[in-house]
Amino acid sequence: MSMSQARPRGGAAQILAFGLRKRLDGTEALSGVDLALEGGVVTVLGPNGAGKTTLLRCLATVLAIDDGSLLIDGLDPGHESDRIEIRRRLGYLPQDVGLAESVRVFDVVEYVAVLKDIGRGSADPARVRRHAVHDVLDQVGLADRVADKTGELSGGMKRRVGLAQALLGSPSLLLLDEPAAGLDPDERLRLRSIIAERRQRATVIQSSHLTDEAATSDRVLVLVDGRVVFVGPPAALAATAEGRTWVQHETPGPVRASWLQADGSYRCLGTPPAGAQLVAPTIEDGYLFLRSPAPTH
Amino acid sequence: MSYTTDPARIERNWRAITIELDSPRPGRLERMLQRLGLPTDVSRLVVATPALRRSWFVALGLSMLIGLLATDAAKPRDDLFVLLLIAPLVPTLGVAMAYGSNADPAHEVGLATPMSGLRLVLTRAAAVLGFSAAFLALISLLAPSAPAMAFGWLIPSFGLCSATVAAMTFMAPRRAATVAGTLWVLGVLIARGAGDDPLAAFTVVGQVLMAVVAVVGLVVAVQRRDRFDLLAVR
Repeated sequence: MSMSQARPRGGAAQILAFGLRKRLDGTEALSGVDLALEGGVVTVLGPNGAGKTTLLRCLATVLAIDDGSLLIDGLDPGHESDRIEIRRRLGYLPQDVGLAESVRVFDVVEYVAVLKDIGRGSADPARVRRHAVHDVLDQVGLADRVADKTGELSGGMKRRVGLAQALLGSPSLLLLDEPAAGLDPDERLRLRSIIAERRQRATVIQSSHLTDEAATSDRVLVLVDGRVVFVGPPAALAATAEGRTWVQHETPGPVRASWLQADGSYRCLGTPPAGAQLVAPTIEDGYLFLRSPAPTH
Repeated sequence: MSYTTDPARIERNWRAITIELDSPRPGRLERMLQRLGLPTDVSRLVVATPALRRSWFVALGLSMLIGLLATDAAKPRDDLFVLLLIAPLVPTLGVAMAYGSNADPAHEVGLATPMSGLRLVLTRAAAVLGFSAAFLALISLLAPSAPAMAFGWLIPSFGLCSATVAAMTFMAPRRAATVAGTLWVLGVLIARGAGDDPLAAFTVVGQVLMAVVAVVGLVVAVQRRDRFDLLAVR
């Protein structure tokens, strides 16, 4: 793929992936992932080790795929010039933000602004960078902490510094690996607002363990053992457990998943027994139903 | 006389002023580099080099002090051996500590930016080499031997750093520095054992050889630059 086939900048990024495979430490982290995404917010759900981080790293072009094809805005990350162009359009928050404790918040974000080439071609790049840094720190609510060292910040604030650097340069593809981890409820609401504000002009892909985050996204992608087992709107995810979610008071037999609720009843997923008290499934029910294997009798 | 004011323009100007006032001043080292003529983006990259920490400067000073103390004016040429042996290892270790996920907390974030990994590695290697060379030059001036020979570490330092950067395209940075450093020490010791001159490795032949190593190392690093753009997860 050459640069001439690239989609122009502006607007949400388009991701087309077919049969993505990636092996790590001898195991297949991604086993033939297919994706077609453009615009909106996508939440990737999956248990630990399902391949969420590997998928985001491949999309962020920091990991090369072993097999399959991946095009981002028509650009192939396997080619150096295409990869650089993809990275110009990208905002990436890895699982581990990696902040040196003795560095000031402003300096951390400005360093990434330098790496992102913010201000390139302007008469005063340093001034453009300063403005860009203040803008993103404003957006994440850290405008008054610019001179603080990152070691003085709470875990949630550090996460927001990471988010700020990802927002630099108004990326058309925003990849966020567990952005809500460590955030308090107020911070999570702010995160949702920031993401919602971008859904019109960017493709936002976030991984999460929280089905709450999935409920506010346009689409949910469920990964299990490196495979995509579901892609669709949150309501459709809940619907996968329709007629397969029930509540009972006695200890359940073999089911896909069950858990004790606060009122002493068991919420069960699977094939309901005759006369079971079916209930309306939630997104969490749908997710747990998909990721849990059918019981063996 | 009446004036018309554009509230949006006033707001923009006011914001520009507050941003300039609120932005923290760059640190001492960064200001010094900018005064020396380095562009603001390069000076920022240099000061963000993980190896350039106080602990590294202390280690640099201590190791060179040991080399200097080992010199002996009573033994011509032999006196510089330890200093010249150790000196190229100092920037090599610095280069290994300047790049990669073990050294740089922001490594993964940096990879996902359009900045070329090779450019970042070379900028940081140059920064480490530059600081080391300035420091080593001061130490060398204190050596009791002729200053010209005391600077025999300079080209080997380039060669060893370049070899380390090239080796980093095959293995982790610390391992790369260990391999390059070990080969260097073995080479110098073998050259010393082979003839009468204790500084045989630092003669013209040795210097030319290390210059060739420097060039070859750079060529290999450029050829394999993709490795600096990807996360080393195996």
